[in-house]
Amino acid sequence: MPAAGRTYWLTEPCRIRREDNSIRVERPDGSPVRIPITDIRDLIAFDHVDVNTSAMSMLSRNGVTLHILDHYGNHAGHFSPAESVASAAVIRRQVEITADPDRRTAIGRALVLAAAENLRWALDTDLLDPALQSLRTDLPDCKDDDAIMGQEGNFRRTAWAVLDTQLPPWLRLNGRTRRPPTNAGNAFISYLNALVYARVLTALRSTPLHPAIGFLHSDTDRRRNTLALDLAEPFKPLFAERLLKRTAHQRALKPTDFETDVGRASLSTNGRKKIAALVREELSTTVHHRTLKRKVSYEELIHLEALKLVRLCLEDTPYKPFHPWW
Amino acid sequence: MSSLDDFPADDGAAVGGVHIKYFVHCPRQLWLYARGYRPEHRSDRVAFGQVVADTTFTRRRDIDLGEAKIDWVTTGAVVHETKSSRAPSPAHAAQVRHYCLLLERRGISVRGGTVHYPLIRRTTDVPWDDDARMAAEDAETQARNVIAATEPPARLARTGCRGCSYLDYCWGD
Ligand code: SF4
Repeated sequence: MPAAGRTYWLTEPCRIRREDNSIRVERPDGSPVRIPITDIRDLIAFDHVDVNTSAMSMLSRNGVTLHILDHYGNHAGHFSPAESVASAAVIRRQVEITADPDRRTAIGRALVLAAAENLRWALDTDLLDPALQSLRTDLPDCKDDDAIMGQEGNFRRTAWAVLDTQLPPWLRLNGRTRRPPTNAGNAFISYLNALVYARVLTALRSTPLHPAIGFLHSDTDRRRNTLALDLAEPFKPLFAERLLKRTAHQRALKPTDFETDVGRASLSTNGRKKIAALVREELSTTVHHRTLKRKVSYEELIHLEALKLVRLCLEDTPYKPFHPWW
Repeated sequence: MSSLDDFPADDGAAVGGVHIKYFVHCPRQLWLYARGYRPEHRSDRVAFGQVVADTTFTRRRDIDLGEAKIDWVTTGAVVHETKSSRAPSPAHAAQVRHYCLLLERRGISVRGGTVHYPLIRRTTDVPWDDDARMAAEDAETQARNVIAATEPPARLARTGCRGCSYLDYCWGD
C-alpha cells in the first residue's frame, strides 16, 4: 500500500479543526465527525472548506494532502505537506530523461497511445478502431509535445463523438468544453478528470519523483504538476468515460444532479455526493495482479504506475503505460 | 526500528545499521535505499514498528551516532535493538554487530549486543569478539560496494521478498 489511511471526500461545506490527534470535521447540520489523523491519507474538498493553521500543520506533519476542487470540478489547487520523500538521485535522473527529446517524446507517445487504447477499451466498440489505427500510424512521426498532443486531441474528439452515441441526449458532450463545462456530460468528465489528477498527485507524493517534471505536457501548462497530468492520461478513460457510460446506462444520475445554466453546468450538492460515492467504490474495486500475486485496487494501480516511473529513473527499466488486463 | 529515522541522507560515506540490515536481507534493497527511495516511510509496518519501539522501553534514551541511531545502550556497553518482527533474522544480528563496530571506533569497549523481540517475548544475544568484528567489517565493505555499483542487484527469489517494503516496486509490473 502506498500509505496508511484513507481518502476522505468532503462533499458538503464544512469546517476543519484540530482536536488532539484528530481532525474534527464540522458540518452545518449534524454533530462533528472526528477522524484520527493517522487514518487520513488525503482529503478532497468538493465544496467550501474553512480550515485553520493548526489543522493545516497537523495535516502537513502527517503527510496529508488537501485537494480543492472548484465549483466546476476543476482541480483548483492543493495544500501539501512540507516534507516529501523526494530523492535527489531519482530527481536527477527524472530531469535527465525528460530533458532528452527522444526519450521524452517516446514516453509521451506511449502515454497518448495507451490513453487512446484504454478509451477504446472503456467504450468497448469497434467504431474507434479506424481512429486508433490512424493514431498508431501518425504518432511515430510526432517529434514534439505539440504534435503528440494534436494527435491525442484528434483521437479524443472522435472518441467523444462515439461516446455520445452511447449516452442519453441530456448527458451528451457535444464536443468537449471546460472552464466552465457547458453541459452535464462535460461537467461529469471535468469532475472525474480532476479526481483522477488528485489521485495521481497523491500517489506521486508517496514516491521520490518530482510531480512537476513531466514527459508529455509542456512545462508551460497552466498546472505545474505536469507529471501528474501525464500519469493521469492512461487512467482517465478507466474512470471518466467509463463511469459516464455506466451511470447513463444504469440511470444513476438525473438531470437534477446538475446545476445547468445557459452555457455552464456543474454538479449539485447531491450530484457531488453521488459522484464521490461512485468514485470511491470504483477506486476500491480490485483486480488480480499477476506479478504481485494478489488483488490490487484501482487506487493501487495508480500507485504502481508511479512506481514504474521510479523504476525508469532508478534502473532505466522501460516504461510501459497502464493498460487494463482484465 | 526507531533507528530507521535520522540518517544523514545520501551521504556516501556513512553506512548505518539499517544499511547493514538491508544488505544482509537483500543487496537490492540496500541499493535502492541508498538512492534515497524509502517506501517504508509510508508503510503501515514501519508505523507499527515505531509504536512498538516507542512503547516498549520508554525509560532509556536512544543513542545517536550520526550514521546510526541505536535504540539504547546499557552500562557495560551492551547494544540493545528492538524489533517489532516476530522472527529473529541474521540481518538483525548483523545490524547490532555494526553498531558494536561503530561504538568501538569511538573508543568504547563493547561487550556485546542483544536483539529484543517484545512481540514474542524473546531476546537474542549477539556476541562481540574477533570473529564478530571481522564479520562486521566485511559486511561494511561489501555494503559499500553494493551502494557504489551502478547497476541494481537482481531481485531475490520471490519468497525472499515477503514483507519487504519494496515489494510493490520490485514486482509491480
Ligand atoms: S522486494 Fe525482494 S528483491 Fe526487492 S528489495 Fe525487497 S527483498 Fe529485495
